[in-house]
Amino acid sequence: MWDAEPISKPLAVPPVRDAVQPLFDRVHGWITTVDHKRLGILYIVYALFFLVIGGIEASIMRLQLIRPHNDFVSPQVFNRMFTMHGTTMIFFVAMPVMFGFINYAIPLMIGARDMAFPRLNAWGFWMTAFGGIILYFSFLGGSGLYGAGSTPDVGWFAYAPLTSPSFSVGHSTDYWIIGLLISGFGSIATAINILTTIFCLRCPGMTLGKMPLFAWMNMVTAGLVVLALGPLTAAQLMLLIDRYLGGHFFDTQAGGSAIIWMHFFWVFGHPEVYVLVMPAFAFVSEIIPVFSRKAIFGYPIMVGATISIGFISMSVWAHHMFTVGMTSYGNAFFVASTMAIAVPTGIKIFNWLGTMWGGKLIFKTPMLFCVAFLFQFLIAGLTGVMLSVAPFNWQLGGSYFVVAHFHYVIVGGILFALFGAFYYWFPKMSGRMYNEKLGKLHFWVFLIGFHLTFDFMHIPGILGMPRRIYTYEPGRGWDTWNLIITIGVLFQAVGILIFVYNLVSSYFKGKLAGDDPWDAWTLEWSTSSPPPDYNFATIPVVRSRRPLWDLKHPEDPDWKYE
Amino acid sequence: MQEPQIGNAEPTDVMLPAPTAWPFTLALGLALIFAGMLTNVSISILGAVLYLSGAVGWFREVLPHERHVRVPAEPEAETGTVPAREVMRLPVAQQVQRAWLPLKIYPISAGVKGGLAGGIAMAVLAMLYGVVFFHSLWYPINLIAGSLYDAPAIPTTEALLHFRLGWFVFALAMHITMCLLVGLLYGAMLPMLPTRPIVLGGIIGPLLWTGLLYHVLGYINPLLDQQINWYWFALSQVAFGVVAGLVVVRQNKVWTSENLPLAMRAGIESPGIVDEHEHDGEDTRR
Repeated sequence: MWDAEPISKPLAVPPVRDAVQPLFDRVHGWITTVDHKRLGILYIVYALFFLVIGGIEASIMRLQLIRPHNDFVSPQVFNRMFTMHGTTMIFFVAMPVMFGFINYAIPLMIGARDMAFPRLNAWGFWMTAFGGIILYFSFLGGSGLYGAGSTPDVGWFAYAPLTSPSFSVGHSTDYWIIGLLISGFGSIATAINILTTIFCLRCPGMTLGKMPLFAWMNMVTAGLVVLALGPLTAAQLMLLIDRYLGGHFFDTQAGGSAIIWMHFFWVFGHPEVYVLVMPAFAFVSEIIPVFSRKAIFGYPIMVGATISIGFISMSVWAHHMFTVGMTSYGNAFFVASTMAIAVPTGIKIFNWLGTMWGGKLIFKTPMLFCVAFLFQFLIAGLTGVMLSVAPFNWQLGGSYFVVAHFHYVIVGGILFALFGAFYYWFPKMSGRMYNEKLGKLHFWVFLIGFHLTFDFMHIPGILGMPRRIYTYEPGRGWDTWNLIITIGVLFQAVGILIFVYNLVSSYFKGKLAGDDPWDAWTLEWSTSSPPPDYNFATIPVVRSRRPLWDLKHPEDPDWKYE
Repeated sequence: MQEPQIGNAEPTDVMLPAPTAWPFTLALGLALIFAGMLTNVSISILGAVLYLSGAVGWFREVLPHERHVRVPAEPEAETGTVPAREVMRLPVAQQVQRAWLPLKIYPISAGVKGGLAGGIAMAVLAMLYGVVFFHSLWYPINLIAGSLYDAPAIPTTEALLHFRLGWFVFALAMHITMCLLVGLLYGAMLPMLPTRPIVLGGIIGPLLWTGLLYHVLGYINPLLDQQINWYWFALSQVAFGVVAGLVVVRQNKVWTSENLPLAMRAGIESPGIVDEHEHDGEDTRR
């Protein structure tokens, strides 16, 4: 541990921070920081920036599809938009924002002063940041912005042989490979850091059985990142060899296999879903108890379900490949394993409902988002079970039904939980309360937009509309649905604008939050808002899963019952 | 959590890792090395220089000892919390959940026995159907195995009348597995069904299941769908349900152990799991 090392020379004492530092000093401070809280905020701001970019790309696609035979953008630009939208949202929005919250909250929650490897933490963030910058530099490469440069156009899972030099001339696919490769190095470093922090830096008394569910779930997340990103990184290096050194890993005509790429990608790709959804589970597991005024229902079962999901999620990848034409046994295995993962996930939903049951529910903005998460994630799970049935998947794989399903998971589930987390921890991060009215307005506008878009997106999918098509013929029954879907996107965009405005205005003008505005129970609420650099002047000692409850209610502490 | 340990001393300094630009430099260098592949070799050279300097700088940052800064710690609030309030513990499960969950349940063995008995009844009826209509015992058995195969692999009706070892093994394994699973489900569900558990679990449940399959099998496996006589299928399902239900309800119930600690249910003989003084001689699980 860093603070146990002998100090060999006089310690530098940093200057007292002025009320307003010069801009250069502030920028220098952010670039050189190794503080987990600042790095967490950097991750979050970075992800929010790309959320806006990815949202603009989605809006361009939806405007193109608003009516048949539209030519709002060219087919080439459309291909680039769906590639960049998917890649950006997964790798440069969802993962960084989750890492941001994990970075910020985990050391505070487990009573540590920082992550186990603070410098590696900084390196991880900057690798992620430079990966995104390289990917987006592709807009300037080639013929520049006018022709959308060398922007990748092979889809976010970049199937072979589209990525071979024959079909992807120039550097567009290389930007995709290298951008993700670099950010992947950063992600693996961060995941190792999270695991080490949780295993080694828990405060005295915090056994694994007393650790917040937030830490448990993100521990599994980090484990999945370490396991899943390796195959993707390997496959990307192999693809680079194919493209630059004349390799044939994915060249079917030269003895390679395009299917192998699919396996490599989805061995990463499906655990990746749980890499993203597990932190969302973690947010919900912290928010629902606090706003239900009850301890989490079934803590050990929640831990068990989390670990089960972690294991099972490594064995379901080929359900993305039913249409490839696997053997009956392969299909049967992946059908069964995919259905099996619904069991621990369902257990979690029941436990969250069990937590709310009989509680004193307080419908502040974070809770609203979590309740919506419960309903929407349930529906997303149900369409997931439908798609897990191979014959059903043969019919609807590659259609807008699949697009609707995974957006239900990622937007209806993950993004809603994420919004809840933003509102829940914003007072801790900024020291100020957000505007509750704007928060609720954001919730309702975004909720309407979400359902307009993604509920109705299932229908053209069932009617046969393939994903990624540039335009379509009129009279196929898709027209009205696509119009409604695009109108929903406008609602979502307005919702996002309200959200960003709320965060920015509250940061400057919000009411002071105090240390513990939610009367919560985990350790981060025991320190000031925002926390000092060192988090805790004295490392706390805990005796139960809700240490602040024990502190607030010495007459009835939790440790008597656990 | 104990009281924050700040009351016994003046605020002290805390040592934290010193801010450093080397991780940034190293990351930038590595990114530029790769970026040079897409732009110009000079970018890669610049990246390599930054990478090396970043690596050296980082090593010097942590070797032989990590560089720290001293941050003055300010006293924390004594509690940082809201005042204690009157709180109420929710009633424990035994006082509330018993309105819906049974105190006594059937043991797992009841479900196994019920499943096996129901499976035999179902098999007898199904084979009777095969003998009466097709003069073959093997027809229904081959049909079960056929559900594992893709539609093109299912042979003609004539071929289904003959014994096929591989299909027989598949069918037997599937039938036993499914019967055991459904039997276990019956064992778990029957105590919770409000009234007439045999009617609900033995007749209505199987009929609903048959209805569901009747409507979806055409989409899942159309050829298999054409081979099934749905009246006999429903009859077999009901036979399973009634027999399994009757066998299950004839078993002795046992006290549920759901409220016991995991350690006790796992059979761990740890001291303190059971309060032996207050419940001397009594089965504390109740």
